[in-house]
Order: sequence, then structure tokens, then C-alpha cells
Amino acid sequence: MTLHAAAHPTHVDPRLSRYDPLARVIYFDDFDCGLSGWTTLVGNYENSIDTMTRSYARHMQPMLSQITHWDSGTHGAFDGTYALKIATRAVPGERNTAIKRVTFRKASKIRVETYFAFKPEANELKLSDLDVRSVGLLFDLQDGQQRVMPHLRYLNALDGQRMNRWQFKQHSSPFRAIGSRSETVTHDHLSPNDWEDIPDAGQNLCYNEIPTKINWHYLRFDFDLATMRWLEFQCNDRTFACPGVNSITIAAMPNLACMLNLVFFCESDTAKRSFFYLDSVLLSGEF
Amino acid sequence: MGTLMRNAYTAVLARGEWWEGSVQTEPYEAAWAAQALFFVRVLQTDGTTALDATTIQARVQISPDGMHWADEGSVMQVPAQTDGLAFTRVSEFGGWLRLAVEVPAGTRLQVVATLALKA
Repeated sequence: MTLHAAAHPTHVDPRLSRYDPLARVIYFDDFDCGLSGWTTLVGNYENSIDTMTRSYARHMQPMLSQITHWDSGTHGAFDGTYALKIATRAVPGERNTAIKRVTFRKASKIRVETYFAFKPEANELKLSDLDVRSVGLLFDLQDGQQRVMPHLRYLNALDGQRMNRWQFKQHSSPFRAIGSRSETVTHDHLSPNDWEDIPDAGQNLCYNEIPTKINWHYLRFDFDLATMRWLEFQCNDRTFACPGVNSITIAAMPNLACMLNLVFFCESDTAKRSFFYLDSVLLSGEF
Repeated sequence: MGTLMRNAYTAVLARGEWWEGSVQTEPYEAAWAAQALFFVRVLQTDGTTALDATTIQARVQISPDGMHWADEGSVMQVPAQTDGLAFTRVSEFGGWLRLAVEVPAGTRLQVVATLALKA
């Protein structure tokens, strides 16, 4: 499934040598070069911004961080200076997102890869390894028949308990109409509810020993747009097959043809900001 | 950062939030930017009869670590009225920026606050 870097003549860029892209690179965003189209996921609204679901209204813009700490100065990214940073507010259960919106030209196999790290805000002189609830990603996709939203998260902690496992979501909250023109609806697919454990997908990551030391991790997630099925995902040295893992699936909506949105998100478990860092993101397809 | 074109990015710091009492926007990292421009736009006010035609101060703050904050010195006067718009410019601000606002008791403002950054 993964190809050696030398198999692709396009891999002359040494930054790609730590990735395993499929034949076509759809985008490769190195955050040393800017935000590259990553923005925040706002909720839908009509006439008044007050119609937006509150959890979406509280999402904030991602930023470029050089990961500077009070005790050790600038950590830097995997390569270069800057990483994309998704920061929650200092509220238990709070979440934040970054999204990039494109469309697909062929319903092929797709692969997203990233190098990531997460930490809580370093405002306590202790390990703090249970402050980040989760980090994850989701696709928001639509073909001619259905809208499909595979959700994957690493649940680090929940209500103060160590969890260290990968989860998915195949159900979502009901849709809610917005406004009076019947044009806009919303559903809080990132609500805390409906997460399920992926079978045999426990994994310990490298948190390190204080909140200001970070280690980058590799994540790869493969999905088939032709069948709208999960294929597998990999984090560092573990690869997880996903034969029984499904996605949130709803009927196709009027304005979302060929949608290929990718969202990264972070949730805090305590009254402390949680930070999700992405060094770079590579989306590729088999076409 | 990019070599040919100056990077620029606008972050929304408050999206229809109601400001009342002592308010600080969330920390925003912008070490890559050489200049920044804060805007505050007032969508509506509530209980501001006594504040008609007055302004509310919003102070720019900077930080060494995203946790400890000092006034940078720039202050914007936000008109306490619907469609009020204010801005202030800052540069040489290091790694973090935020706004600190003290809204007088008995009033509140619904705002859109943005931070326009340029390398």
C-alpha cells in the first residue's frame, strides 16, 4: 500500500522523503510557507450570526506557531520554524478546528499524511499529560448519492482518565434548520457524543516529560472515495485496518458536489488551552 | 516564508461575541508578521444609553510566552454604537498579540474583532 519514495519521480523534493504520497499530490502544505488555505470552521447562519450553533461560533482561527515556551524558548517545527497551531480556549470540553476546502476531480483512493504534536498550555509546572482530551481529523465528502464524514480522533484523556486510543464516529446529532428560507441547516458532527472505539486501536504516544517538550508523530489516513469506505490508518509504527469502521453518512445535499474538505481538530479535557500542532499536511490521490 | 509575495492573513478574534466587563481576546501567535492591524466592529449594543456617543478603550497587549501580558501602548477607541468601527496598528510585537477591553458595568457590545497581519 505504501510506496517507497524512490518509486515516484516527483519525490525530488527532500521534504517529501518522510512522506508516502500516492501517485498524485493534491496539496502539500508546509506551514513554513504560510497558512496555505487553512482557516477556521465556522457554523452556518442566516440573517443573523446569532443563528450559528454556539460550539461552532466559538471556533477560532488557526495560527502559525514557532512553538515558543517560557522555559526553553523556541522549539520550532519538524522542519523550518513554523507549524500550524489549533488552540482551544481554556474551558473543559472546548474544541477548535482548522479546515481546508477543495473538491475532487476523481473518486479515487485518497491519503492524508501529517506530522503532528499536541500539548496543553504550559501554565503549570507539572506533567499535564491528561489536559488534552483529543486530537483528530475528519473528511467532509460528497458524491452523487451521499455526504460522508469519516471522523478519526486520538482520545488522550476523558474526564481526567487516561484513554490513549483511537476512535471513530458513525452517528451525528440531528440536523437543525437555520433561518426561515429553508436553505440552510446545521448539525454538530463534532459534538462530544457518539464516539466509538476502533477495535484494537489502543496506542501510547510520545508525550515526553514536561509540557514544553514536544515530539512529532506521523499520521496517515487512507480512504476510498469510490466506495466511500475507510481503508486503514497509521500512526508512527502502528497500522490499523478498519474493516468494520464506518462514517457519518447522510443524503447528498444540494450545494456540495464533489466536496473534499479536510478538518483537523483538538479538544481540551480541562480548563487549560490545548494546542494541536501540524508541521505539514500532504493530501494525495490515486489518479 | 514565501520568497516572492508577502504573506498576509486575517484572523477573526471575536465572531459576534458579546463583550461585557473585563475581556481579553484569545492569544494569537504572529511572530511571522511584521505588522498588524486590529479592527473592532460593533454589531449592536445593549444597555448603552449612558454610553451613547462615547467610546470604550481596547488596549493591545503583547506577551513573551502567550501567558503573561503587558500593554503594548496602542489603544483604540471603540465607538459604543451600532456599526461603530475602530482600528489600531502595531509592529515589533514579538510572538503574541491580544486585545484587552474594559466594558463599563451595565453595558455590553456585540462585536467582530479581526487581526490583519502582513509579513
